[in-house]
Amino acid sequence: MGESFIDETREKFRTDLVFRVEDVPMRCDPPAEELEQTLHGLMQLNGYIIKSLEEIAGRGANAVTYRAGKKFGHEVAKYFEKKDNVEDALRELSYILHGQYTFEPWKPSDRDEYIVEENGSTFIYLVFHDCIVRQSCRRIGQEQGGPLCQTLCGYVVGAVEEITGKRGKLEIIHTGPNACLKKLILK
Amino acid sequence: MVGPAVAITPFHGNPSGEMRMIEIRVDEEACNGCGLCVKDCPMGVFELRGSVSSPVHPENCMGCLSCHEICPAQALEHRGVVPCRRMYVSMKVCRMLNRVI
Ligand code: SF4
Ligand code: SF4
Repeated sequence: MGESFIDETREKFRTDLVFRVEDVPMRCDPPAEELEQTLHGLMQLNGYIIKSLEEIAGRGANAVTYRAGKKFGHEVAKYFEKKDNVEDALRELSYILHGQYTFEPWKPSDRDEYIVEENGSTFIYLVFHDCIVRQSCRRIGQEQGGPLCQTLCGYVVGAVEEITGKRGKLEIIHTGPNACLKKLILK
Repeated sequence: MVGPAVAITPFHGNPSGEMRMIEIRVDEEACNGCGLCVKDCPMGVFELRGSVSSPVHPENCMGCLSCHEICPAQALEHRGVVPCRRMYVSMKVCRMLNRVI
């Protein structure tokens, strides 16, 4: 008869490794291709938390996730340089979001400028290409534009508010399988 | 058969000023004129002409590919679109599907 599960498992987790407190990891372990299961596990877990929140809290779920995103945005951006200029602020934002979200400014063809000043506020359309939120929604078959998307809205608004010192808002204009259009408003 | 290129236009959302071209084609034989792409496109890119869809404002396309997802005839083709990273794809499932296909 083979080894029991307990013996097998204990053997698997036995090492002779010496771990010192001063050891600083110099790379992410394991390599990226082995992280697929971890990533999918996280995406699914995240998706189901939000789905359940929506089932229990209804429309209140949006407020919760927006706030969570906003806190995250403020926290991440507080170490970044403050910028008055909207273009500089967007450049800063793209550094902050790097690896999770990529975006570019967009305008309809009949408009000359990307950045529009109107009634005391400034707005710009942004097309989001890569987005971990969209990926998570699609991983569990959840509709886009719901509370999970509000985490991104809050995140961007929090970061932009921190960088520019102005109040911000991010409206979802359209969600698609490959890209989404958002309107960033600064007051 | 994929029909002739209906329009080639610059992608407007490019801050670097470099012109990226999005080319939209409609397979006129496959299109059944349902008009779903006309309704779904947020940029008003398509119009029904006769009983086929025609990309009349491709210069406004932002590459969301909603029209691809909704077209029941798979009659659309976009060239020059930035593909987003598809992290949700499970390689285990893809490998299984590939074996079946
Ligand atoms: S990709 Fe999006 S913006 Fe472009 S034609 Fe299709 S639905 Fe319209
Ligand atoms: S959705 Fe497809 S089939 Fe329907 S009109 Fe548009 S291109 Fe034609």
